[in-house]
Amino acid sequence: MNGWNGKILEIDLTTQTHKEYPLDMEMAKQFIGGRGLGARLLWDLVGPEVDPLSPENVLIFTNGPLTATGYQTSNRFSVTTKSPLTGTVLDANSGGFWGMQFKKTGYDVLIVRGKSPKPVWIEIKDSVVAINDASELWGMRVYAITEKLGQNNNKRNVLCIGPAGENLSRIAAIMNDRERAAARGGPGAVMGSKNLKAIVVEGSTRPEVDDKERYKFLMYETKKLLAASPLTSQALPEFGTVVLMNIMNNIGALATRNHQQTQFEGAEAISGEELTEKYLVKNASCWACPIGCTRISKTEKVEGEGPEFETTWAFGAQCGVDDLPAIIEVNSLCNDLGLDTISAGSTIACAMELSEKGYLDSDLRFGRADMLAGCVEDMAYRRDLGAELADGSLRLATKYGHPELSMSTKGLEFPAYDPRGLQGQGLLYATSNRGGCHMRGNMIGLEVLGLPKLIDRFQVQGKSAFVILHQNSNAAIDSLVVCKFTNMGVADEYFARVLGAVTGIPYATGELIKVGERVWNLERLYNNREGFTPKDDSLPPRLLTEAPTDGPSKGWVSHLEPMLKEYYRTRGWDENGVPTPKKLADLGLNKLVSGG
Amino acid sequence: MVDPRIYDMFREIGRDLYTANMISSHGGNLSIRLGDRVIIKRRGAMLGNLKQHDLIETRLDKNDSGVALASTELLVHRTVYLNTPALAICHCHPRTAVAFSLSRDEIVPIDNEASYLLKKIPVITEEFASGTPQMANKVAEALTNYKIIMLRGHGSFAIGQTLDDAFFWSSTLEEACQIMLFTKQINEPFIEYRGMSDSYSKF
Repeated sequence: MNGWNGKILEIDLTTQTHKEYPLDMEMAKQFIGGRGLGARLLWDLVGPEVDPLSPENVLIFTNGPLTATGYQTSNRFSVTTKSPLTGTVLDANSGGFWGMQFKKTGYDVLIVRGKSPKPVWIEIKDSVVAINDASELWGMRVYAITEKLGQNNNKRNVLCIGPAGENLSRIAAIMNDRERAAARGGPGAVMGSKNLKAIVVEGSTRPEVDDKERYKFLMYETKKLLAASPLTSQALPEFGTVVLMNIMNNIGALATRNHQQTQFEGAEAISGEELTEKYLVKNASCWACPIGCTRISKTEKVEGEGPEFETTWAFGAQCGVDDLPAIIEVNSLCNDLGLDTISAGSTIACAMELSEKGYLDSDLRFGRADMLAGCVEDMAYRRDLGAELADGSLRLATKYGHPELSMSTKGLEFPAYDPRGLQGQGLLYATSNRGGCHMRGNMIGLEVLGLPKLIDRFQVQGKSAFVILHQNSNAAIDSLVVCKFTNMGVADEYFARVLGAVTGIPYATGELIKVGERVWNLERLYNNREGFTPKDDSLPPRLLTEAPTDGPSKGWVSHLEPMLKEYYRTRGWDENGVPTPKKLADLGLNKLVSGG
Repeated sequence: MVDPRIYDMFREIGRDLYTANMISSHGGNLSIRLGDRVIIKRRGAMLGNLKQHDLIETRLDKNDSGVALASTELLVHRTVYLNTPALAICHCHPRTAVAFSLSRDEIVPIDNEASYLLKKIPVITEEFASGTPQMANKVAEALTNYKIIMLRGHGSFAIGQTLDDAFFWSSTLEEACQIMLFTKQINEPFIEYRGMSDSYSKF
């Protein structure tokens, strides 16, 4: 069958052995690949008794049926594990080139389990697998090790951790192709806990597609659609994701100073327009991507990829900083150290508020751009206050007696969008299976950008249906795996047809969305099994009770409670947020739960 | 009472459907899914002149008292919502499209806009073409893979995330059919201007 290689590679670092075995194709049809397949495998492999940083946790790297076919943005991969930051199921995905190359080694899945007695790195050249000594590589930063291990975009690709992962920072990222990141939820710490420094892939398998003529037609149509969308053909290529800075600020939904305000007076200075005019060197693209949203930026001190919108916001508005060169430099530093920029910036912002209010004895204050780089270095090496910042804002704020000052859900720090001005986004954060995340069904398309049509961002009644549709759709896209930005020009009906053309299995659009629903419900079941309850589907009190006193969102708080009740009912869950037997049967998950 | 913002949306789209000649005075219907509930036009109400009390809220999964007041097509709308990702449905009677549906099993537009947006529109047949379970199932099944379909001799059903969305597909279909009709009337050789258009009928 085309689309899948049909093989899983499993490496046990404790015994330094590896084996390969067939992919269960029934499972693959039900969960496709990427995030979906990862969640399904994690369900079997890691139970509630497992500490995320213990050898019993696993790292599951997955590609999908579209990966490496050449379809637009078919470069991505997922890494699934139990999160050391949140304790939830975690999927983080990343672009670049590594995912494409991994698929070309002939494997759909790489499972890494156990813990090596000493630092190692793994090399996979087609079916030849080597576990190599990494004693001399341990301690190296990301840029240096990527170069040392022979990164070559189209031929040999390096995935690694930096010092943050080695030092088990719970907000450590897994980096690939130098500056791409599977960042959220701390997968880098899981890799560090296994004494695994890097995974290098080289492959020669060329993925085949089932219906070449149909596939060619769909590629052609996708090209037209992406060219016709002003977002994918103009806004993202010209300004990158930072194009959102002024847009969010203008509508009063740009979280500022640890969500104390919803507009930032310095937004213009850190906007996409400013970045493009003063610091942009050129655009860059992931493999097979015609959008090219990646920025190559340059200051007097650094030149490299980024920063993305969320990074610019996290170290910018969220920290009260309007110094764009400082943000570009701290972004580069995070990439080199292997840190999640959203969590790093937002944790510093939390520390700034704790300090300003006298709960924490430090010099951190909003606007202190000069302290950002030092904080990030200290986080990665767990030095001084950095040792506490390294574990994210919730653990930090809890230690100092004010957990309410962590702007997070389930311990994962929010991105830039303040849910008081975006009711659907608030519900999304509260219900996201990996914690407060915007990549699990982003409502910005509907509530701000008008994709596919603008809806009232303050509307509460009926919002759950939109959130659920987008959560399901995104789970499906994450399982293919393609970049969500394609969804700004290409509707789900095209993805379903491309999947059919590649695999030879006809997937109706509705069936593809149902795969997404299945994945979402399985992730929910996983979290429920871990002990999560409806009280974890929450937002910080600030967002529920403190309305902005000025700006376009003046007077609004998040009306989470009625939306959440409606959400559970609409999902087919009971009042405790548990999928009903009827829903599980409808999704084919009932046997999984009953152990059948 | 339905939220005034929701009423405004129904009133505006309903009026536009009427003024665009896509429904008769009392024909067609609109609905949206609000979580586990449906808001749909009242039976016999005029879409082009909707009042706030013309919108009926009822359960999605089973009947309640709202069913006594709702459009005769409620069953179709519910079945579509339960079987597709739709959050809004627009059902209307676009005249040119209905005319074309009487002689073909699919409508493949030739104009640029509809080629780009719709590719092709399947035409399905149901003897009892109004409000029956058979029709509801056929329409829902077709809409799992297409955002707009034609029921032969009856009208179109379009789905979207919003009413605006579903109306867009409906008006695009009618425009495409009018252009096809004009082309037939002009009766001159067609000059193909699209790439890979042979594949549209396989979409």
